[in-house]
Amino acid sequence: MINWFKNIDATVKKESLYIASVTGILSLLLQAAFLVTRHWDYTVLLGNALGAATAAGNFLLMGVTVQKALGREQKSASDLMKLSQRLRLLMQLGVVVLGVVLPCFNIYAVIIPLFFPRIGIMVRPLIKGEGK
Amino acid sequence: MLELAIGIILGCCALGAGAAMIAGIGPGIGEGNAVAAACEAIGRQPESKSDVTSTMLMGCAVAETTGLYALVIAILLIFVAPRIFVSILMETIGR
Repeated sequence: MINWFKNIDATVKKESLYIASVTGILSLLLQAAFLVTRHWDYTVLLGNALGAATAAGNFLLMGVTVQKALGREQKSASDLMKLSQRLRLLMQLGVVVLGVVLPCFNIYAVIIPLFFPRIGIMVRPLIKGEGK
Repeated sequence: MLELAIGIILGCCALGAGAAMIAGIGPGIGEGNAVAAACEAIGRQPESKSDVTSTMLMGCAVAETTGLYALVIAILLIFVAPRIFVSILMETIGR
């Protein structure tokens, strides 16, 4: 596991860390929102943890796939990426179904964190001051 | 008659969920094309690998959100919508 992590490209590590940080911060905000609206219970915490871990893990897996694909021929790289995307979508489907079926997870707390990486990318130019 | 109506509701929800998941195919094709183009770009300018990888990762994550929207719609159609539609039906017929 440690060796696997060491082999990850520095750029992929950096971006995954950024996405994981944003997901963590937004998860805290989500918990706060549930607390303020008096809907908070342990299912929200568990659901949020599951959703956030899936979102961050999905991004890391995508990064690792991209890293592997870049060393291949164009056609092979394209096929690898398509396969990876389908498998990762299946993984997310499994997680969301778990969130719906198991009563220990709040469904909204599972689904909402899956969109946190998108929000992180959206606010990235604001944070890094790009595009000036 | 009521069973038929409920069956139609469930069938339509399942069909809708299946149709929504067609959108899950698009991001895979898009990401594949992006990575293929990135391979070509890095082949031409190997020194820009870090920048290309970073930009492409962000682009792929954005593209993947489309598939996620479809996934969420499908899940809602399977697990949430039938209950709502059946309760609306029951209210309409007064049961």
